[in-house]
Amino acid sequence: MKKLYSNKLVILSLVLPGIFVFIFAILAPISLSFYYGFTSYSGMGKAEFISLDNYIELFSDKNFHISLRNSLFLALGFIFIQHPLAIIVAVILDKLQGKAEGILRCIYFIPNVISVAVIAYLWKFIYNPDFGLLNNVLKTFGYQGQINWFSSDNAIWSVLVVLIWHGFGWGMLIYYTGIKNIDPVLYEAAAIDGANTTVTFFRITLPLMKSVIQVNVTMAIISALKQMETVYLLTNGGPGNSTQFAANYLYQQAFKAFRYGYGNAIGVVFIIICLAVTILLNKMFQEKKIA
Amino acid sequence: MKKADKKKTIAGKSILSFILILVAVVQIFPLIWLINFSLASSVEMFTKGLLIIPKKIQWGNYIKAYVDGHFLLYLKNSVLINVLAVVLVIFISIMAAFACKRMYWKLRGFVKIVLLLGMMIPIHATLLPNYKIYSSLDITDTLWAVLIPYVAFSLPQGMFLMTSFLDAVPEELEEAAVIDGCGIYRILFQIVTPLLKPAIATVSIMTFLNNWNEFIMASTYLSTPKWKTMPFSLLEFTGQYSSNYAVQFAVMALTAAPAILVYILLNKHITKGVAMGAIKG
Repeated sequence: MKKLYSNKLVILSLVLPGIFVFIFAILAPISLSFYYGFTSYSGMGKAEFISLDNYIELFSDKNFHISLRNSLFLALGFIFIQHPLAIIVAVILDKLQGKAEGILRCIYFIPNVISVAVIAYLWKFIYNPDFGLLNNVLKTFGYQGQINWFSSDNAIWSVLVVLIWHGFGWGMLIYYTGIKNIDPVLYEAAAIDGANTTVTFFRITLPLMKSVIQVNVTMAIISALKQMETVYLLTNGGPGNSTQFAANYLYQQAFKAFRYGYGNAIGVVFIIICLAVTILLNKMFQEKKIA
Repeated sequence: MKKADKKKTIAGKSILSFILILVAVVQIFPLIWLINFSLASSVEMFTKGLLIIPKKIQWGNYIKAYVDGHFLLYLKNSVLINVLAVVLVIFISIMAAFACKRMYWKLRGFVKIVLLLGMMIPIHATLLPNYKIYSSLDITDTLWAVLIPYVAFSLPQGMFLMTSFLDAVPEELEEAAVIDGCGIYRILFQIVTPLLKPAIATVSIMTFLNNWNEFIMASTYLSTPKWKTMPFSLLEFTGQYSSNYAVQFAVMALTAAPAILVYILLNKHITKGVAMGAIKG
């Protein structure tokens, strides 16, 4: 058995496709980014080596700071608005029996399977000042003014609303599964001891969901960091740079402003930030698990 | 006393149901609005009220969307690219997971970590350099330009799930197969793979959900219609019909339809797959 299972040629044939894909689609581009990050390449012509200039510029680039701040804003929005809502809905849904449960779960998840392109364009229309759904809803409640949802003060909130709406079903589903995995005997015991719904929620449901919440929060923070597609189509970072995000910014710099070298420098820093945040979150939650 | 309690629970229950229904309305109403507007004419949109009752249902919007949005071609491309991506991800991840988990070699831990590393890398950071690489290899506008990155960015998750499901496959089965004189490939594909069915289902669903709606890589690496996918029906359309809003609504509804239909049909399996993928991952 051991001899058969250590045949180098067989092993190579099994891992080679994976390694090839990794090198070709991940390692090579990152190395190339690293190289171009040190140049003033515009996308055409020759690449001139400028050592750390791009990184020094990036360090004091206001738009890049705004991008990171916006990611933080989204992450906080997910954690303090979307996720509490998702947990509450999941808890109520868990108590519901019969067909309604399945139908509601299905409805909550539907926005998730729709293309980001459709979502972004649909919400552009929903926010439209002339015939948009949102202003029409306000009108039916008696509000007469026209709100510009994409003004520089409102735009980031408008982006947050779209993302909360789009991702709600996913978070809800995972919390729902987490709740379903809790042993019902615990609830029975609590009921016998005379605990009411609120006490049961805070003393049993929430503590037992800790690891699910940690997974979900980690994913929320990372997706806030990696946000691009929705913003790219909805506001493209505007007005000004008020809804700018790192991924969108590097794309704009490379393909719109023809600063391919600078775009790659942003890319390198972006990768480092993503790696650091992921590792940090995992470390944080792992230590807590032991404690 | 008892009556008051009963009243309280009924009131409580109706508040809870109200919350559930309110959230459901918020989630679904924009889509109802979308379908409603897609069947009206553009002129009718500027009326009062939330929904319109169109004077005449404008099926023509959908015909325009279907024809001018290249619906059939892009749907065909999307299906082909996604099926290929799913098959490749499954094969590559099963092979790599098996080699790293079960077989004996020095670098297995290292290779596993390297392959899983892709999970942390943001795809957006690879857009610029990959564009350069594909241009110099002259493979932009080909199937490979989207297939390779799609596989690459779904592979880590696939690999992760396969490795954790492999734990549940008893090694005794493989030992017995070795005694019977099976080779590694037969053991892997005829004995182990069938036992990984739930993992395969989960990985397929996750890969499909990841890639079906993807457009930023596709729009960076593709410029001719030949391999463009579903989202492009919409992206290209808005320029062409920029003032005909009703047709834009129709093309949005049409672009979203295949995924929604498949989801409603396979709702139970997809729910299970997502839950399993998320909890294991």
